[in-house]
Amino acid sequence: MENTALGNSYRIELDAFEGPLDLLLYLLRRDEIDIYDIPVAHVADQFLNYIRAARELDLDIASEYLVMAATLTKMKSKALLPSHKYDGEEEADPGAELRRQLILYRTFRVIAEELQRSEETWTEIYTSPGERERWSSDSFEIEPGQATLLDLLKALNSLTEGEAELPSQRIQRTLLTISECIDSLESRIVPGKIFSFREIIGPEPARLRIVSYFITILELVRRGWIYCHQAYPFSEIELQRTERWSVDS
Amino acid sequence: MILDRLAREVEALIFASERPLSIEQLCEYTGSGEDSIHQALDRLNKSFLDQQHALTIVEVAGGFRIATDREFGDVVSQLFEGRKPGKLSRAALETMAVIAYSQPCTRIAIESIRGVNCDSAIRTLLERDMIRISGRMETPGRPLLYSTTTAFLEYFGLSNLDHLPRFDEIEELLGMSSSEMEERDLFGSGD
Repeated sequence: MENTALGNSYRIELDAFEGPLDLLLYLLRRDEIDIYDIPVAHVADQFLNYIRAARELDLDIASEYLVMAATLTKMKSKALLPSHKYDGEEEADPGAELRRQLILYRTFRVIAEELQRSEETWTEIYTSPGERERWSSDSFEIEPGQATLLDLLKALNSLTEGEAELPSQRIQRTLLTISECIDSLESRIVPGKIFSFREIIGPEPARLRIVSYFITILELVRRGWIYCHQAYPFSEIELQRTERWSVDS
Repeated sequence: MILDRLAREVEALIFASERPLSIEQLCEYTGSGEDSIHQALDRLNKSFLDQQHALTIVEVAGGFRIATDREFGDVVSQLFEGRKPGKLSRAALETMAVIAYSQPCTRIAIESIRGVNCDSAIRTLLERDMIRISGRMETPGRPLLYSTTTAFLEYFGLSNLDHLPRFDEIEELLGMSSSEMEERDLFGSGD
């Protein structure tokens, strides 16, 4: 192998290939080699030339290329050695698996080309209404239960990406004392009616409101001003005013 | 050409629907049989053609929808400038092809066919909703399984997975041993 040839005739970079099978198919086509009759020694040499050329150019060589180079070298050395055949033992054709891989890969490469042609056509066609609306608006809604791990990761990424500065806001501390709560309940809880805790705190209550009113309820129970009933844990808490509230206060 | 009631009902349904309408749905909503629906679709497309509309009704991703003619791709694309994703790379297309025919399949299975690491291609396809994680294989390590999505069918203008080119032949090829395969090489002469 002449070193001078390396710099010139192997200028094609490995980047142009989608892996070792692609490179191998290129070499077979270039040298007009039948996939079923691969001259192992020749192809192995050609393949190794590429690897060497790439190395000279200081390109990163993906490990898959090195594995293929090793496989081809092994096949080449096997082909050179006299084979011993024992009775009843059939020697596996070392090229069979490689041929299988090449045929499969070549098949999918052709399919990929067909897909590319479809892509070419359909990228020019717009349907309405359609899945294409995914990118027709900036955000598309995800139905509850339909979010995937990827959606969550995307959402997380969008938070950390770009503007690192998160919008800040001053939070005012609000106070809600127990006596204020009792005052407000005094007028709302009328005698003789059953109220639920949920009714008392109202819709979408702030956490502070829930906690304050809960403590207030405990206080009122302690004082004996209300009856309290809960059927089972986490169920609705029902409250009823007692006579004593009006008497004591 | 004056369109009949059924054809116009079909047109209205397809236009207003959020999703592609299947032939069964069209039958249900119009109370007509499959043959009549197909004929109505033909009449609609003929009338679109006769009157030189920029639209046709196409069958894609399991149903019918109204599509613009390819000729107007450039004009319409302005609506989506900057938002429309670019074309898929060769690596992504090859990975897409392998997943489409052998789904659900693992990353290892894809890589054994392509002979090269497919991490980034899989990530791209996931991000573009062309594939989804459809489960795990119950083997050691429980690797993730990938399948195609409706967006995939839509993107490549396929009405369903059976319409992938040479679907049956390639399914068969995938299950073959190396010796069987040599007798049934699909693209042997073309390369």
